[in-house]
Amino acid sequence: MGHFERDPHTGHMTTGHEWNGITELNTPVPKVIWLFLACTVIFAIGYWILMPTWPIGRTYTKGLLGDDVRHDVAQSVKQAALDRSVWSARIEKESFADIQKDPRLMDAVRETGRALFGDNCAACHGRNAQGGKGFPNLTTSSWLWGGTPEAIFQTLTVGINSAHPDTRTSQMPAFGKDGMLPRADIDKVVAFVRSLSQPNAKDLDPTKVAAGKELFAANCASCHGENATGNTEMGAPNLTDAFWIYGGDAQSIETTLWNGRQGHMPTWENRLSELDRKILALYLVDLRKADK
Amino acid sequence: MIAQLTKSERQSALVILLALAVVGLAMAAGGRHDPFGVHGAIVLLAAILGIFGVISGYYAPEPSPDRLDSYYDSPTKFGIIVAMVWAVIGMAVGDWVAWLLAYPEWTFDAAWASFGRLRPVHTSGVIFGFGGNALIATSFYVMQRTTRARLPDQLTPWFVLFGYNLFCIIAATGYLMGVTQSREYAEPEWYADIWLVIVWVTYFILYMRVLARRQEPHIYVANWYYLAFILVVAMLHIVNNLAMPISWGSAKSYSLFSGVQDAMTQWWYGHNAVAFFLTSGFLGMMYYYMPKRAGRPIYSYRMSIISFWGITFFYMWAGSHHLHYTALPQWVQSLGMTFSVMLLVPSWVSAGNALMTLNGAWHKVRDDATLRFMMVAAVFYGLTTFEGSFMAIRPVNSLSHYTDWTIGHVHAGALGWVAMITFGAIYASVPWLWKRESMYSAKLVEVHFWLALAGTVIYVFAMWNSGIIQGLMWRTYNESGTLAYSFVDSLVAMHPYYIARAVGGAFFLLGAIIGFYNILMTIRSAPSVETQNAADFPVTGPAAAPALQPGE
Amino acid sequence: MFGFHYRLESKSIGLVLAIVGVASIGGIVEIAPLFTIHQTVEAAPNMRVYTPLELAGRNIYIREGCYACHSQMIRTLRDEVERYGPYSLAVESKYDHPHLWGSKRTGPDLARLGEKYSDEWHVAHMINPRAVVPESVMPAYAWLARTELRTDDLGDHLNAERRVGVPYTDDMIANATADAYGQAAPDSPAADGVTKRYGKATTVRAFDGKPNELTEMDALVAYLQILGRLTDAAHKPVATAEKQP
Ligand code: HEC
Ligand code: HEC
Ligand code: HEC
Ligand code: HEM
Ligand code: HEM
Ligand SMILES: [Ca+2]
Ligand SMILES: [Ca+2]
Ligand SMILES: [Cu+2]
Repeated sequence: MGHFERDPHTGHMTTGHEWNGITELNTPVPKVIWLFLACTVIFAIGYWILMPTWPIGRTYTKGLLGDDVRHDVAQSVKQAALDRSVWSARIEKESFADIQKDPRLMDAVRETGRALFGDNCAACHGRNAQGGKGFPNLTTSSWLWGGTPEAIFQTLTVGINSAHPDTRTSQMPAFGKDGMLPRADIDKVVAFVRSLSQPNAKDLDPTKVAAGKELFAANCASCHGENATGNTEMGAPNLTDAFWIYGGDAQSIETTLWNGRQGHMPTWENRLSELDRKILALYLVDLRKADK
Repeated sequence: MIAQLTKSERQSALVILLALAVVGLAMAAGGRHDPFGVHGAIVLLAAILGIFGVISGYYAPEPSPDRLDSYYDSPTKFGIIVAMVWAVIGMAVGDWVAWLLAYPEWTFDAAWASFGRLRPVHTSGVIFGFGGNALIATSFYVMQRTTRARLPDQLTPWFVLFGYNLFCIIAATGYLMGVTQSREYAEPEWYADIWLVIVWVTYFILYMRVLARRQEPHIYVANWYYLAFILVVAMLHIVNNLAMPISWGSAKSYSLFSGVQDAMTQWWYGHNAVAFFLTSGFLGMMYYYMPKRAGRPIYSYRMSIISFWGITFFYMWAGSHHLHYTALPQWVQSLGMTFSVMLLVPSWVSAGNALMTLNGAWHKVRDDATLRFMMVAAVFYGLTTFEGSFMAIRPVNSLSHYTDWTIGHVHAGALGWVAMITFGAIYASVPWLWKRESMYSAKLVEVHFWLALAGTVIYVFAMWNSGIIQGLMWRTYNESGTLAYSFVDSLVAMHPYYIARAVGGAFFLLGAIIGFYNILMTIRSAPSVETQNAADFPVTGPAAAPALQPGE
Repeated sequence: MFGFHYRLESKSIGLVLAIVGVASIGGIVEIAPLFTIHQTVEAAPNMRVYTPLELAGRNIYIREGCYACHSQMIRTLRDEVERYGPYSLAVESKYDHPHLWGSKRTGPDLARLGEKYSDEWHVAHMINPRAVVPESVMPAYAWLARTELRTDDLGDHLNAERRVGVPYTDDMIANATADAYGQAAPDSPAADGVTKRYGKATTVRAFDGKPNELTEMDALVAYLQILGRLTDAAHKPVATAEKQP
């Protein structure tokens, strides 16, 4: 207790205390630490002078630079839009056909479209736009509402069965649930529908198919067309190809007929700018081309 | 254990446990339709077990008065073992959730097994279960020896330890049932929060009673840190958990603050939970075990002062660096950033003081894995605080925030600093506590050290990579000036790093399990001949007060 | 300085007071003014409160720990604004007890999620995320669709929220349970009460596709569909959003 010693290794004196065998050296604080502290403090004070920092009552110091993050981000978004306008202004102005003719513009469409599609559409239509159960494949030539960029743009803007006042509306009636067709008839139509896209399927009963054909003409053709190739006026799908929204097996088709379907595609009018929607429409058309 | 309590302490214990049983019963009845009731049942069960324990030892002879001639270490022994149990649980759950992020299908259709519920079991398990128990246990050990005063009674330390672990159990089981306030590191609901206040105030009073009875005129640095840990955690905990329960029979509450004020309060708490739980407390631990094990004096008393007050003052301003560029007003962000930068100075002074203390003992570091744990911990402490101050700079944070970089930073601190210093301290104290010559196997300590180091390095590098890639992908623009990657693109890029992290975590976990085995085997081995250090006894006579020696 | 400290460290009460004093300053200077400086929270006269069903959904979001992976805070950075939409305003979480800003984006930010996707998509995604997003690492929450929502204590929830400052009326509190049913059953008589109390724009739908069952999925999807839509203050395009006066 209370005896000071010189530590042989460092040459510094101890503080004279000992706690359970632990002693401390009274080594002075190295100058470099004060210097280091001074540097950080000077940096801090400089920052405080330039930037908004200290609260005072009902307001705060604004700083000499008058910086404001909200203003900054608004500026940088605006500036970025301006920088992009070399190409984006042309996309905004020109017709789809003209844009498609310009490979440089289409490069920008492809670059921009990928992430835009990935962040907004891929959740439903998949990263490669090939859809999934309940969500249509967008890389095929068979479109519910038409595959021109104009039609796609319109679909994106108003959505399908969405909350938009001008939404595209479509409804596959619930023939079973609503008692429009008895179970046995539905069976027959299912057989007929399957025969359209899989004419060689082994388990199809030709008498059912024949009966289904008549039922189809009476109940379905008004929407899906005489030869079941669909109708882009009312979003009725083509039933003769290999592409299905809800599945082309007997079980899925039967469920579709029994419960009806009303797919919901959101409107993007308030979420994506007109430019973005235009880009996406072109991107999808281009995707189909690239696929072929 | 009951035999160590005096008659009146046994009676007090019974009274406390009966009161607890009544509370548990009331909770179980009032919360029949709610997880609250399950927690009531857990409290009731704990109280009943306690009552049986006390009654079974009730008629044991009273402890002899000569117990007062030695320190009271049974609570420390218990705390260390419980800390290791929580270490294994907490890290196993950590590794489990790490695998879940790589293979999300490795789960089953049960609510409790989903990532969101398990993650807080991990964070609370390691921070509160492992870290907290280690801190309480070592603080009992250190405070007695550095004050030369025995714990004032036998009951209070047990109340603190059991009460604290009851809190931890309520927390962890609560998360599994979906009871959470969604405040990071403060997830437990209002009733667990209230219980922790009671335990914590008792802990504080216990600490003050020991200090009041101290035989050393001066309070050793380790105790400044432990004291700051206890005090500030209490302040943070109480303010951050202010909430309105929906009824007395429900676990659910709504926090008093909302939106921006709530966010700032939460991160004032969250950041300083790091500062005063994961930093202050463990610095206290380091300040005792490192000089002790190295047999060297603390390098500089004056540096200790600078770093202690620097840390205590600067840290409390830095919480807003968790909210850069958010809806929190910019002026608060400026304060958070600048104070985080200044905070680097006291942090590095602490780390430097620790490493300079090893001067003259580097040969021991080479040969002794226990001391090497402490040395590496100090290095990681320096590294993590540098990284933290760097990440607190707003433009850097614009990249790192929300990404795995934060997770990498967390685990550089958590594995490299918190866990390593704790393992070092535990390896040092186990032979001292159980009066063994050394650990059961020095080789296994060595194996643990390398597993821990390898695990940490793999974990941290994996997360640095994934975090920075993630942050960059989110803001990469293509030549057209539009975003180059979608969110899911970045998610796909994380996969290999998530596997690497889970493997690194498995290394670290394996090390901890080996360490636990080694500790248990040490306890089971034969005690060595009593080679007691004269300094290992409390004193009764007054000590002389030395004067401060003038600076050199 | 060191001499003063030398004396301080021999007085335990002094040390305690010093620690508490030194450690209090930062919090006081940073937190207290957030209540006094009015600019902190923007004015948004049309801000509405959560319906009981949305609040129940929010509590499920908290219960399941979604905040561990999802932020609800779009920062004032160009890339975030371009990816997720207008940056978040303080006022948007004015009624959020607690806030759910989050600190980690294992999944994307959700602050502008409301009405981005359809209810059907959310249900499919919650039942099995990988069925709709094969790359997802999000857990499946299939049990939500088969668990009935607890509604008997919703009045207590609203009442507790009112005590901490959310302007729920007596009428809202008294009808909390009925409103929760009504919002998820558009053709039921209870549906009208919801729009009467919470405004015409409130979405009343069979969120989980089953109008005659009130499940936890209904509540969660109702909550997800309101995210970012409690006020339209934030929906001015960023480039023209003016500085707050
Ligand atoms: C919530 C899910 C969802 C999201 C997100 C979504 N869609 Fe759709 N989309 C659908 C559904 C469902 C349909 C089919 C509607 C129907 O069945 O009638 C559809 C249909 C379409 C169609 C019409 C297809 C045709 O054959 O005419 C196009 C084009 C389309 N989506 C493009 C997009 C683009 C581009 C985006 C992103 C901006 C997007 N979708 C986002 C669900 C979604
Ligand atoms: C009122 C118009 C209408 C009538 C009548 C109608 N459909 Fe449809 N059908 C639709 C629409 C619209 C869709 C697309 C629904 C969607 O995508 O959500 C559809 C979808 C389908 C599908 C699912 C296609 C897929 O890709 O999964 C099948 C199969 C189908 N209809 C068969 C029939 C049959 C068979 C009948 C007669 C029994 C019939 N439809 C009558 C409008 C109609
Ligand atoms: C393990 C982390 C994790 C947890 C926990 C988690 N999610 Fe997710 N979440 C993700 C990931 C990764 C994605 C992106 C891939 C996807 O869409 O599934 C995502 C996507 C989403 C999306 C789609 C967002 C968008 O804009 O595409 C929603 C909505 C969502 N999660 C809601 C929730 C809810 C609600 C919970 C809690 C009940 C939750 N998540 C829990 C990881 C998680
Ligand atoms: C000088 C000291 C330190 C500073 C300035 C600092 C700074 C930071 C910053 C800027 C973040 C990221 C916040 C975000 O973007 O969300 C962070 C997160 C974190 N740090 Fe540190 N850090 C320091 C030391 C430490 C230490 C020693 C630990 C010990 C384990 C630690 C543990 C954590 C944890 C757990 C988080 C995650 C918080 C969360 O989001 O949940 N930090 N720190
Ligand atoms: C076996 C070793 C460990 C493994 C495998 C592990 C794994 C994990 C994982 C997977 C997460 C979630 C990250 C995310 O959400 O992306 C996490 C979070 C966390 N872990 Fe660990 N962990 C381990 C040890 C520890 C230890 C010892 C501590 C503390 C002493 C700790 C403290 C934390 C904290 C504070 C977080 C939250 C970080 C944040 O929110 O930013 N971990 N850990
Ligand atoms: Ca809490
Ligand atoms: Ca976090
Ligand atoms: Cu922090």
